[in-house]
Amino acid sequence: MTGSPDAIDSAIGLSPTDSLHALRALRPEFVSGSEDCRAAVLTPAADLGLSPALRMAVARRVAATAEMPRLLAGYPAPADPALAALAEGETPEDPALAALARHADMIARTPRAASAAHLAALQEAGYTVPQIIALSELLAYVCYQIRVVAGLSLLKGDAA
Amino acid sequence: MNDHIPQITLKPLTWTPHLPPVEIAEATPAQLEAMKVTPSAKKVSPYVRTLAHDPDSYVARTVLFNAIMYAEGGLERADRELGALGASLVNGCQYCANVHARQHARLNGTAATSALFAGRRDALNARDAAIMDFAEALTATPPCADQSHVAALRAAGMSDPEIQDLVHSIAIFGWANRLMHPLGHSD
Repeated sequence: MTGSPDAIDSAIGLSPTDSLHALRALRPEFVSGSEDCRAAVLTPAADLGLSPALRMAVARRVAATAEMPRLLAGYPAPADPALAALAEGETPEDPALAALARHADMIARTPRAASAAHLAALQEAGYTVPQIIALSELLAYVCYQIRVVAGLSLLKGDAA
Repeated sequence: MNDHIPQITLKPLTWTPHLPPVEIAEATPAQLEAMKVTPSAKKVSPYVRTLAHDPDSYVARTVLFNAIMYAEGGLERADRELGALGASLVNGCQYCANVHARQHARLNGTAATSALFAGRRDALNARDAAIMDFAEALTATPPCADQSHVAALRAAGMSDPEIQDLVHSIAIFGWANRLMHPLGHSD
């Protein structure tokens, strides 16, 4: 079982007495599945050389595209200055982090623009194939969460 | 209303990864275990082998994907496929759009997908139009879906538990499209 409130409850601002909370409970496999995915992309057992702090920072950068403060609060700002630039939408000085920042922005905002050249740029910046896959899953997970929260928020208060 | 739109039968596409997939002979035990779970319980495709480079996220996402698209009860399967199609068209994922248009046509006939691929949104029935409008608004960055979209879905007869299923089927393609399209090409 997952804890309550989970990341989606917190991002919506949902309390256990809300009718939307009962609505979510109708699909326990969506609730637990979303939490399992969050753990798998942010804090996996095998991190493939991508630290939890790096993962959280890039997730925060993507989360900011949602313009939803509660959702963003689920991705705390990093203490490390290099990671802070990544997390806060700036251009990091480190070339590998700068390449990751550019890729994250493209995936979050204009995924239809993606091409093989974007993956080649990540490889040139030093990312391995497993790391590129793990980062792709992380970036896309946050985009999923943004849309679950945006959609369910519309059912808050007047859910049947 | 659709009788003057030519009915389209979409041909399946083939997806090819830009990055080298996991070779079965070289797969780790964790990767082999992960590939026992596949989207829609299909075969171990090049897509599966590409994402199996990160077995933890692959398994978690695939279990969630299958729950959202195939869970018993709730929203009709065809409506989930239409939500997936709407997201895929916005995100420019040609492969996902093709797969889920064909799934929708298999379940509900070719009228809706023929209208969409012919650029004839006006020919959709009210329920399909409400689903497409919501899918597009929720897929935008940032999402711009609002109460008018929910009102249109309710007016088309959709209950809140069904709308919850639709939200998830659109959202999971906000994820899947961002893998399938950036990581490979289809023809």
